[in-house]
Amino acid sequence: MHGTRCGCRLAAMPDPRWAKIGRDLLAHKVRTLLTVLSIAVGVFAILVVLGGRGMLLQSFDANFPRSVPGDATLYTSDCGSDLLRAVERSAGVGAVAGRRSVVFRYLPGDLRSQAQPPAGVTLAQRSRSIELVASEDWATARVERVFPDSGVSWPPAAGEVVLERSALQQDSPVVGDVITVDAGDGTKRVLRVTGYAHDINAIPAMFSGHISGFVSMAEMGALGQAAEYNRIVVSMDRPDITRDEASRIAIRLRDDVLAPRGVRVFGMQVPEPGSHFLGDIFRAVAVLLLALGVMALMLSGFLVVNTVSALVSQQVRQIGVMKAVGARSSQIMWMYLALVAVYGVLAVAVGLPTGSYWAAWFARFGGGLLNFGDAPAGPPGYAVALAICVGLVVPLAAAYLPIRSGTRVTVVRALNSTGMSAAGFGHGVIDRILGLVRGLPRPVALALRNTFLRKGRLALTLTTLTLASVVVMSVMSVRTSMLRTVDDVASWWRYDVEVSFQQPVNASAVEREALRTPGVTAVETWLVRQASLKRPGGTEDEGISVIGLPATTTFVTPRLVAGRWLAPGDEGEVVVNTDVANDDGIHVGDVRTFTVLDKEREWRIVGIVQGQLMGSAVFVERNYLESALAEAGGIGRMVVRAADQTDFGQRQTGDRLEQRLKDAGFAVASVRNQKAMAASLSSELGILVTFLIIMAVILAAVGIIGLSGTMIINVLESTREIGVMRAVGASHASIYQVFVTEGVVIGTLSWLLGALFTYPVSLGLVRLLEKAITIPLSYEFSWGGMFLWLAIVSIISAGASLLPAFRASQVSVRDAIAYE
Amino acid sequence: MCRLEGDESFRRETKTLSLESRGSALIDLSSVVKVYDTGEVPFTALKSIDLAVEAGEFVGLIGKSGSGKTTLINMITGIDRPTSGGVVVAGTPVHELGENRLAMWRGRTIGVVFQFFQLLPTLTVVENVMLPMDFCNVHARREREGYAMALLEQVEMADQAYKLPAALSGGQQQRVAIARALANDPPILAADEPTGNLDSATAEAVFGLFEQLVHRGKTIVMVTHDDDLAARVTRALHVRDGEIVEDARNPMRVPARRDA
Repeated sequence: MHGTRCGCRLAAMPDPRWAKIGRDLLAHKVRTLLTVLSIAVGVFAILVVLGGRGMLLQSFDANFPRSVPGDATLYTSDCGSDLLRAVERSAGVGAVAGRRSVVFRYLPGDLRSQAQPPAGVTLAQRSRSIELVASEDWATARVERVFPDSGVSWPPAAGEVVLERSALQQDSPVVGDVITVDAGDGTKRVLRVTGYAHDINAIPAMFSGHISGFVSMAEMGALGQAAEYNRIVVSMDRPDITRDEASRIAIRLRDDVLAPRGVRVFGMQVPEPGSHFLGDIFRAVAVLLLALGVMALMLSGFLVVNTVSALVSQQVRQIGVMKAVGARSSQIMWMYLALVAVYGVLAVAVGLPTGSYWAAWFARFGGGLLNFGDAPAGPPGYAVALAICVGLVVPLAAAYLPIRSGTRVTVVRALNSTGMSAAGFGHGVIDRILGLVRGLPRPVALALRNTFLRKGRLALTLTTLTLASVVVMSVMSVRTSMLRTVDDVASWWRYDVEVSFQQPVNASAVEREALRTPGVTAVETWLVRQASLKRPGGTEDEGISVIGLPATTTFVTPRLVAGRWLAPGDEGEVVVNTDVANDDGIHVGDVRTFTVLDKEREWRIVGIVQGQLMGSAVFVERNYLESALAEAGGIGRMVVRAADQTDFGQRQTGDRLEQRLKDAGFAVASVRNQKAMAASLSSELGILVTFLIIMAVILAAVGIIGLSGTMIINVLESTREIGVMRAVGASHASIYQVFVTEGVVIGTLSWLLGALFTYPVSLGLVRLLEKAITIPLSYEFSWGGMFLWLAIVSIISAGASLLPAFRASQVSVRDAIAYE
Repeated sequence: MCRLEGDESFRRETKTLSLESRGSALIDLSSVVKVYDTGEVPFTALKSIDLAVEAGEFVGLIGKSGSGKTTLINMITGIDRPTSGGVVVAGTPVHELGENRLAMWRGRTIGVVFQFFQLLPTLTVVENVMLPMDFCNVHARREREGYAMALLEQVEMADQAYKLPAALSGGQQQRVAIARALANDPPILAADEPTGNLDSATAEAVFGLFEQLVHRGKTIVMVTHDDDLAARVTRALHVRDGEIVEDARNPMRVPARRDA
């Protein structure tokens, strides 16, 4: 049990009571380790969660304002530098930047001289999209600034492309590689990747589905594009400007500055000032992380209460002896509080470096996903201070009551404590019910009753493990809901391949080419334009897609929320999705003013359909839209249905289609298949699921540590019972059976309790995420996840009980009876 | 080990209590009743006990298991409280003290020796002896080890001072427990079956220690069921069913010296 000689005689001997604390720590190494681990988990979680969050915020706060995000972005027809200066001179405008952004197809390597692709591989099969962004003022831009990595040649020269850093999220060319960009009209340009630059305002590759790169205006010209801008980013002159004010200025720029000079504005975006387009997701992640931090803290507190209660009850006789020789309750209390403080210090020593390391990893991981840029090297001071505080104060707070009540025990009670803990068993309802259970093998019956022997500890352990179970099972349901959402979206869009063109193309010509492509069974062309919706206050809801499609289309399956779908012959009657309806308070029957291609149009809302994760959209009968816009035959998007609807089939059809359209001289901007789009959506939602899984894993770890701790303590406290069992002939196997069964019973109970709470919690979590990311999510309860967790928790519980059960089986009768 | 002379028969006084000396008694119990609430039927462990013990007495509490002798000694040490009645020890009404004052008082006034020694397993022998000094802030901090070593010398355990209790035999542990009981130089020692867990030779040695202490002026109250040892105390109180049924004094015992 203990060493026989203490080799620690010191010149100046410490007070015996403090020596006792030190020796208790060393004598019960498993208990010390367990308690330190319990607290360290809390310190770790706080640092990873709040520290990681803080580091993400720090990198965002450093990089986002530095980039000077625009207060409004106008997507225009070609416009030159003189117009840019006119915009800059306008009232309310502070600074302006011009960009030309075009999505091209590219291939790795220099393929200019290669007339035909390698045998068996079409060009289209290896083509990918890249958005090239050009500007005259890369180095001097005052708005939406881009920061090249050190050593990168900047601004890019002709023949060079600097990739936006989020390209690293995807399998993309690396520095030194060359790519061949296909201008769509037969022109091919070879560009060398010279490095990376960070544009925090760019949509990361993971979300947009394509990489982006920065080139010179001259390079854009070489690709057959006009050396003019098609995107104007405006920063207003007042830092405290509201969104409505910025919106009014943008409208004035469109109507009074650009339109009179012949520049058409296809779309406008006016974000909430100072907000980032990934802010919603980041906010959702931040909320989740905060919830995780609080829960980890709570669980850590429960574990400390459990362990310290057990420690005090184990030492109750020693407390009695100390009191008998003159110790006051307060003196003993300070001793045990000091013990807990030492646990805290050790836990901080363990949790602080590991937590800081993983916080940095987490910030790098999250920063990489969200493209926030470089994270600081370590967690912020407040997170470190809080973690230290949590490591030192929470254990003391959690341990105070158990220590207080434990040290207030009267001497006679303390000295009469026998070490047999069954005295309180048999009076409660549960005890009586358990007593009535017949026919179980004796060790199992004993394990069942042992489980309910120490009800306070059982309650704490169950609370810890149940919370972990609820989170794990809820996360599984959230994951299922995300997948269901992706499926629902896929079932909305009933086509396999979607082709976008760089310029409007003739509808019947592309339809004809598409139908001649092997594997294409049906085709439809849509007219897609940007629009804004006038609000009553004079502002506009920008960034609405107007989709002109046949009323009788079979390429979408609209899920109506209210009203009706489009009907042939509809003119001026439109259907909006819930994104538009919710944002602008639209009801069926309302007549609203939309601005499309600079012209205001009064449209009546006849139906509202469920949003499809594509943002705000208005559906209009195609023929009507064509005539209204006077763009007969000029379409921007084509959708086709493929004979083979597998991922491979869709990709193959898309490749063939792209090849055929290129051969026919159409400038294809992008070819996307449904499965790839669903995968892209999954990866977007996957970020949240990833964070949720990290959360679940940490909490599950806390739960497991809690269960192991409880089992170890139970075994320690049952030492005498074990001795008695051994004395009456219990084998190793029987002792194992008792304690492993006890662990599994606790695990299963936690699963059962957790299962009761999983539905409301998971539903709440889905609705919370829905609000945070402003995307409607379908809810689906994960029965599979629930039973998977039952299997996992059973295995974990059995595993967590193995070490304690082993220790129990090693107890000799003599030691057990002599145990105090 | 010293054996004290005078093993003659006791002068027995059946249930005659020294009430006349109560005013100057070191230990004074009056009408002490202790009732335990054991569930449906309350159990009366002590039934209106009156007892006065003079300084320097070596009192044996003798009785069968369950007779109430441990409860009685617990009343004297303040380890347990009476349901009714009063306990005054060394002029202090023990029954009126709160837990904290009681602990302090006990640490300075009564040394307690247990049947199962109850040394703290993680403290060395000398640290166990220093513990009461530490709690009651007796002696300067630097001097405590010296005092503890002196006490260990007295009980012939100085050479084991830096061992942990687990390395000692039962008799050795009990000697250390006695040294611990003497740590704050209390006038009274209360021992609950101090030899109950020892073999006869070791028990004899421990009892010899008690006799020496009485010689030096300590007052000892000891619970025992060993008739041989009971015959060697200066006063034997026989307890049965919660009552003192016999108070036997041994006039041949050497009275305690106060110069200890």
